[in-house]
Amino acid sequence: MSKRIDLTSEYQYRELQSRTRRHFIKQCTTGLGGIALGSLLGCGRSNSTNTQADIEAFVRKQVPHFAPSAKRIIYLHMAGAPSQLELFDYKPELAKLDGKDCPQSLLEGKKFAFIQGVPKMLGPQAEFSPRGNSGMMVSDNLPHFSSIVDDVTLIKTMHTDQFNHAPAQLLLQTGSPRLGRPSMGSWVTYGLGSENEDLPGFMVLVSGGNTPDAGKSVWGSGFLPSVYQGVQCRSEGDPVLYVSNPSGIDGNLRKQTIDAINQINEKEYKEFGDPETLTRISQYEMAYRMQTSVPEVMDIKDEPEYIHEMYGTEPGKTSFANNCLLARRLIEKGVRFVQLFDWGWDMHGVAEREALDTGLPIKCKPIDKAMTALVKDLKQRGLLDDTLVVWGGEFGRTPMQENRGGKEWPFKGRDHHTEAFPVWMAGGGVKGGFTLGETDEIGYYGIQDKVHVHDLQATILHLMGMDHEKFTYFAQGRDFRLTDVSGKVVSKVIA
Amino acid sequence: MINQKNVLIVLSSAFILGLIWWVVRVVPLENKHKFIPQVMLGERVDFNRDIRPIINNKCIACHGGVKRSGGFSLLFEEEALEVNESGERAIVPGNIKKSELIQRITHTDPEYRMPLEEEPLSDEEVALFSRWINQGAQWKDHWAYKAPEKPEVPEIDFKWVGNEIDHFIKAKLEEKQLSPNPISDKQSLLRRLSLDITGLPPSLEEMQDFLNDSSDNAYEKAVDSLLASPAYGERWAAMWMDLARYADSKGYEADRPREIWKYRDWLINAFNENIPYDQFVKAQLAGDLKSDATDQDFIATAFHRNTMNNDEGGTDNEEFRVAAVLDRVNATWTVLQGTTMECVQCHSHPYDPIRHEDYFRSMAFFNQSADADVPSESPVLITYKEDEDLEKLAQIKNWANENGDEGRKGKYYTQLLRLGVPKLYAHYFYQMDKGLPIQGTATFKVNEKVYAFTKALSFEGEDRLVFKARTNGDEGKITFRLDSINGAEIGTWKVKARFKKEFDEEENKEVTYYLNEVITLPIKPIKGKHDLYLVWEGKEEVEQTSTFEWLMLHHALPGGDKENYPEIEQAMYALFNSEKEKETTPVMVDLPANHQRISRVFEKGSWMVPGEEVDVGVPEIWNPFDKYEENRMGLAQWMFSEENPLTARVMVNRIWEQFFGRGIVSSLEDFGSQGFAPTHPELLDWLAIKFREDLKWDMKKLMKEIVMSATYRQSSHYTQEAKEKDPLNEWLARGPRLRLNAEQVRDQSLAVSGLLSKKMLGKSVMPEQPEGIWQVVYSGTKWETSKGDDKYRRALYTFWRRTSPYPSIISFDAPSREFCLPKRIATNTPLQALVTLNDPVYLDAAIALGRRVLKNESADVNTQLSLLYSLAMLRGISEEKLEDLKDVYHQTQTYFENSPEEICKLTGEEDKELAVLTVMANVVMNLDEFLMKS
Repeated sequence: MSKRIDLTSEYQYRELQSRTRRHFIKQCTTGLGGIALGSLLGCGRSNSTNTQADIEAFVRKQVPHFAPSAKRIIYLHMAGAPSQLELFDYKPELAKLDGKDCPQSLLEGKKFAFIQGVPKMLGPQAEFSPRGNSGMMVSDNLPHFSSIVDDVTLIKTMHTDQFNHAPAQLLLQTGSPRLGRPSMGSWVTYGLGSENEDLPGFMVLVSGGNTPDAGKSVWGSGFLPSVYQGVQCRSEGDPVLYVSNPSGIDGNLRKQTIDAINQINEKEYKEFGDPETLTRISQYEMAYRMQTSVPEVMDIKDEPEYIHEMYGTEPGKTSFANNCLLARRLIEKGVRFVQLFDWGWDMHGVAEREALDTGLPIKCKPIDKAMTALVKDLKQRGLLDDTLVVWGGEFGRTPMQENRGGKEWPFKGRDHHTEAFPVWMAGGGVKGGFTLGETDEIGYYGIQDKVHVHDLQATILHLMGMDHEKFTYFAQGRDFRLTDVSGKVVSKVIA
Repeated sequence: MINQKNVLIVLSSAFILGLIWWVVRVVPLENKHKFIPQVMLGERVDFNRDIRPIINNKCIACHGGVKRSGGFSLLFEEEALEVNESGERAIVPGNIKKSELIQRITHTDPEYRMPLEEEPLSDEEVALFSRWINQGAQWKDHWAYKAPEKPEVPEIDFKWVGNEIDHFIKAKLEEKQLSPNPISDKQSLLRRLSLDITGLPPSLEEMQDFLNDSSDNAYEKAVDSLLASPAYGERWAAMWMDLARYADSKGYEADRPREIWKYRDWLINAFNENIPYDQFVKAQLAGDLKSDATDQDFIATAFHRNTMNNDEGGTDNEEFRVAAVLDRVNATWTVLQGTTMECVQCHSHPYDPIRHEDYFRSMAFFNQSADADVPSESPVLITYKEDEDLEKLAQIKNWANENGDEGRKGKYYTQLLRLGVPKLYAHYFYQMDKGLPIQGTATFKVNEKVYAFTKALSFEGEDRLVFKARTNGDEGKITFRLDSINGAEIGTWKVKARFKKEFDEEENKEVTYYLNEVITLPIKPIKGKHDLYLVWEGKEEVEQTSTFEWLMLHHALPGGDKENYPEIEQAMYALFNSEKEKETTPVMVDLPANHQRISRVFEKGSWMVPGEEVDVGVPEIWNPFDKYEENRMGLAQWMFSEENPLTARVMVNRIWEQFFGRGIVSSLEDFGSQGFAPTHPELLDWLAIKFREDLKWDMKKLMKEIVMSATYRQSSHYTQEAKEKDPLNEWLARGPRLRLNAEQVRDQSLAVSGLLSKKMLGKSVMPEQPEGIWQVVYSGTKWETSKGDDKYRRALYTFWRRTSPYPSIISFDAPSREFCLPKRIATNTPLQALVTLNDPVYLDAAIALGRRVLKNESADVNTQLSLLYSLAMLRGISEEKLEDLKDVYHQTQTYFENSPEEICKLTGEEDKELAVLTVMANVVMNLDEFLMKS
């Protein structure tokens, strides 16, 4: 018995040896001329495969759980948290309380970022009127937006668990207040893939001079493979990092070099049979296509004048308006998830530019114009039906005036507030001219139809055709989902 | 003819069999399995192999650590056997009739049938459960929770075999009917080995020596020399830095820089000095608790000071201190024990027998560390750099050694100065403002209208109070009083402002800046617990405020009656306030006994809802903790006990994964029942015991064992057979073919082009990075490109900012290091292609490689291209590939002939040949084979 095994293994071994030797001979080098170093290196490769396999697609498309009403998302995140009381939540009662001490009942057991002791109430710092056919109450800070209210669902009763920017942004964008989880855009592209093989499925645009407080983690892929992380488009320098050729190499030469790389890689594949090599070939092709498609899509110069007029765009600048227009262009190209961050909404009132009566109207102007233009533009192109636009901050602001350091400040500001804040959505299968939820008389608590951050995420996934409870990824010993362990779809907002 | 006797025998045997069957199936007797012959109970069912997978897939979601529907849980044996809410017992050993579980999984009414609203169990699964219960429902611990026992090495007779590892591998290959690949060619082998051990490709000379060496032990010599190379420490430190979540910034909003590079250097040196793994871990978990702890021991503990620190305004320091402590628990269990303890923070483990309290018993080990999420990151170990400071420190040490009593000798005072523990931070104080107590944040204040206090401070006769404060006037005094604003005065500070005046160009006037100062005061020594009040006293209506950062009680220097005492006291004050250059490293230091925290269970994992008090401890399922000291050192020692089932397995598996790209247990982070089962359980145990017993935790020897195997040395080509039967290379019928990791991709390009700096250790560096990457809020920190050689250091020295990591490193799947990452997943993306094609760092490397080729004066294209390829790949080029390169070479030449103005743009020189070779180098350095190790 053992004798037989001996012979078999002997045979196997010889067979392998001879196969190897054959390839040594066949594949060996042409020699390295007179150069001493290289000539000694020789060439040795063993090989045994000659399978021709098709080059795989970049991102595997996955089927949604049910028919989606939205195919794409543009998420406009106002980092820093805009004040609902000067924009969407009309509170005449609060005006009457202006300057009075805040009742103890609102302070007990609460944590604030900066409010200390007993603050004063602060009346609304803007005028409100009913707008559109629906009569949605919107402040004078948003004159343009008032023209699209009938396409919008406004949720006035969002609430969150986190009263600091970074954790609250993470909770909103990743479902967890701590770093390390995949962002909404990563989840969505992981689930649905990209519709365009020349561009990444999840792209990020930042304005306002800073990245969000929580850094790039708000578009990170967490434990999902890094191919699903958001790709940041920049307005200065390369629109996507390293997308431009080094100076001295033009597109044509780049094409020739990538072709050469891929030709040699194909030979490598024939030799080794490693499917990763095929993937690399396709990724180099996509990299090349991105070199053309990204600068093309990022270049807004050729947009007609009336579009620039409508958005308030200025080619070559970094602005929220430019990013809105870019978002439309990316969506048109089939990008799945476009995430905008605009920094500078954290109006504590410690300086004039962050005062609600002076700074906020200035901050609102370009934003109002551009976000309105985006919705109108999507609509006129017939894209709004299956594109979901979401707008909002990471939390709201207190009905009390901030008294940082326990003192009264000359400017009117509000502190971070978790109990009630607004989010509006348009297109992608949500109702138009619809307001969900009601807050109490001073806009402190939601008293009807409260919507938690996880509920919003569940609803967004639902509109994209995914069941947030079934959409999971196994990592660190358990299944994770965007909505963690809670979240209910807000069916009232769905058309 | 029917034989009546036979009929009788048949009938009576049938009757007996029937009787037994009836007893087995019908008679409601418990523990029947004890009386019935084994053969009657069917093929043996193994709990771990047959039953646990069904429980974990189909039952445990509702009957486990998270939910206990119907009061029934399958997590622990004793729980599974209990009487449930229904009054029935789910599992009655030896009796399926009485076992409610069997009734429920076979029930016809969908409202009763388990699993509810899911597909019923298959007949096969029901049969397994029934047989298992009939056989006595024997519960078994999960394999990884039992200490490994040394397995027999399988006997294999096969020429390919190099060492024992191959016996295990070949035995499995035979079972799977796969045949191994032959040993790889020498060029591939040395490149693979060198990248694996040192993270760098071999030099041409090393390759040549190896090719020229035809002795039998040529390979072994190469292994030994690579393991002895200083680059070895750098490569393995980089691996460990993911586990330690090493970064040069604090994380969270402002993500300000953190000085902790000495820990990185400690790692590099520890690997190079080949500190045994047990010492390596003990130093990192508890170096500070060694009786003879050196600076290096303290620096090693920075392993757990790599947790994030939140400097965002308005955050609760205690919340983020707790977050850091929880992170230490998670990282400890993930890295060292392959256990997903995270699950247990909120509830008992859903799959593994670990209880909710166990998490907080683990947490209690780490809860006594003196750090508290303060911006200074205290405690930090101060290393004075200037002679003047060092002299003072030596003076104080000598003085105390000469004059101090036991416990108050030099060590006490050097630690007081260099570590400063325990500090009373500002957030331990309340400032009383208009009748409302307001908790301090980074500071607390005291002025005419506001006093401050802290509660229940433990005094032990200290006669000195030292504090860091800033004040903007010289009026009055601040008194320190016990228990109330009018309580007994124990000390007084005559307030005095420290300031500097500077001319402000913008405002066009002189501006006064008030400065912090560390003040030391004599106080009345007292004992016991008291509240401490800080009250300003002086004439009324003064616009003056004193702001405190921390306070600390200590004992005054001894020898107060000596002549030059004032001088030595002055030296101490000067050191406290020294602004000379010094290096600091955050370290772990436990609070003294009288300052220790109480550890509690957090209900549902929320730190806001503290529950029962808990002591340190480990989950019961593992070896007992009784005989160990109740601190981090005890925990470290417990991990290295012979009975510990996980420590050795987890580490050998981690090292295995680094070489093969896949662990024997592929879920490195989870050896629990939800993790993957080992592909080669016997090999894992054999290696674990070898590592612990024979190798005495010697990591280099373990690596040598692995790379000496024929398994490792196989060529990595895919055979058709292996492709079909083993696409993931689980059974190792071929050698590893893996993409280089992020650090290696960069380091290799710099190495083959000759740019790589050999400089080791020291502060992190900032190589070239595109503009505008760092746009972090509330932080003026700038990326300032390092000069000279520092631009081309190995990747592990690159400044690592958590919220804006170095882009090209991140593209290649390095983590942001916010949390420990047990395993990187290698992806393959177009963004990676853009990095190696276009990142200026890679262009620099291409130019340098082009120059290296030009140094050889041959202008023959074949020669040039072959050399270029050989310099990069350390092998000769095949004819086919050379043809491809030549084609693009000629295209490039034509391009530069037509557009000569591009030549200088590319390389900064008017040298067409260099430009063409630069483009060729760029091509070669983007080849699949260059980015992979085969």
